[in-house]
Amino acid sequence: MTLSSQKYPGFTDIIQTCHCFRIITFIALSDVRARYKRSVLGPLWLTLGTAGGSAGLGFIWSELFRVDPTTFVPTLTAGLILWQFISGLIIEASTLFSRQASIIRNLNLPLAIHPTQLLLRHLINLAHNAPVFFIVALGLGNSLNLVTWLALPALLLVALNLLWITFFIGLLGARFRDLEYFITMVMPLLMFISPVFYRPSYLPFSERIMWFNPFSHFIEIVRSPLFGSPPPLFVVGTNLAMLIIGWSLTLWLFNRQHHRIAFWV
Amino acid sequence: MAVLKFDNVTVQYPVYNSRGMSLRNQLVRISTGGRIESEAGHVQLVTALKEVSFELRDGDAVGLIGHNGAGKSTLLRTMAGVYHPVGGTIVRQGRVATVLELGAGMDPELSGYENIIRMGILMGLSMNDIRSKTKDIEEFTQLGDFLQLPVRTYSSGMATRLMFAVATSTEPDILLVDEVFGTGDAEFQLKAKERMETLIKSVGIFVFASHNNELISQYCNRVFRLKHGQVLELIGEDLEFIS
Repeated sequence: MTLSSQKYPGFTDIIQTCHCFRIITFIALSDVRARYKRSVLGPLWLTLGTAGGSAGLGFIWSELFRVDPTTFVPTLTAGLILWQFISGLIIEASTLFSRQASIIRNLNLPLAIHPTQLLLRHLINLAHNAPVFFIVALGLGNSLNLVTWLALPALLLVALNLLWITFFIGLLGARFRDLEYFITMVMPLLMFISPVFYRPSYLPFSERIMWFNPFSHFIEIVRSPLFGSPPPLFVVGTNLAMLIIGWSLTLWLFNRQHHRIAFWV
Repeated sequence: MAVLKFDNVTVQYPVYNSRGMSLRNQLVRISTGGRIESEAGHVQLVTALKEVSFELRDGDAVGLIGHNGAGKSTLLRTMAGVYHPVGGTIVRQGRVATVLELGAGMDPELSGYENIIRMGILMGLSMNDIRSKTKDIEEFTQLGDFLQLPVRTYSSGMATRLMFAVATSTEPDILLVDEVFGTGDAEFQLKAKERMETLIKSVGIFVFASHNNELISQYCNRVFRLKHGQVLELIGEDLEFIS
């Protein structure tokens, strides 16, 4: 039995979403497949693109900045791969509900499946890019050790953080259509104040500004263990704090606006 | 056992990019029947359904009539649980399937077969269920080799066949169909009629919105007229007027 007047529609929605695991994985996979439908290499193009980009930028910049390519190129590769994952997700987030309008307006499915599905799709893309980093890092003589495994729980933490950000931006973007253009404008700016191209310690003066960018914390928490050192404690702290504050805010908003979303898309 | 019960249900539509209560809006209100009220700021609320109450049980086949904008599609979406009311309660028991909008839930790039799987999964079927129903869907749609082509190459009648076949093959307890259904040809209408009759007989509630009185009188045993967001059930002489 379904009663429509509930006090916390947002929470009910999220609980129902947990039961829709099969739908979420199916849509994510079929979207990836549909996108590369008529190409021979399919998602491998992503891998090749990343490999080409980081090789080119890496060797030219290491010469320009006169830094040692054996540490700089892997740093840059990891930074670029993580940035592609983060920015790809955030840019798509603002239109996530309106792109699924034909499902939202016709089927009685929980709404939280859409941000989850988007996150999963970008995680699949990330999995296609990740081997490039390991090939570059090992090829240039960097060694992996036990600490490297810390990157996995760190990635999980980042993914959970990105999930609320995606959800939150998706909700706002469904209501305010300007958000899409605003985000496309802001993301390249944020890229320059995040440690994509360098380690934070390379910056003599602006390091503090960079830590105001939440994405810097996402990149560092995953990248530090990849280079054999556990992430700084304050980075872990910010990630956990963002997780708690962000999810509370998102759940509050979702609960408040849940009944309106079908009219917005 | 299927039940669909509305008790004093009110549905309001927020509209964001039209402003102010102007003369134009007053005219709109007279000609479309939606009542336009304004919330603080620029947000306008259109009351699409106002204190609607009814109860549907197994075997009810309801035809919805009313002119454009009377609230037929809104009522169907509210029945489906897509739109949520601002007031009143809805009790819904049973699995719902919808044929509301052409191409809903389909990916135009994917083939007919792939879309059968996609829609089946979205409607909550398992892969085994879908596999066992594919043959039945093939037969019903009679699309033959077209099922191997991307859905974007289909005519609207073909897409309707596919959607209707998948939606009904999920063995829903409640089937909600909007006007799109009218795009099928005569042969399809005949097959659809058979299929709906068995569906109505076996279990379930069927709700069908249309401007075609002939179709309504063929399929339905109850008729609701929507006017100004309110629902009136036609009985006795009024029903004869329809047929």
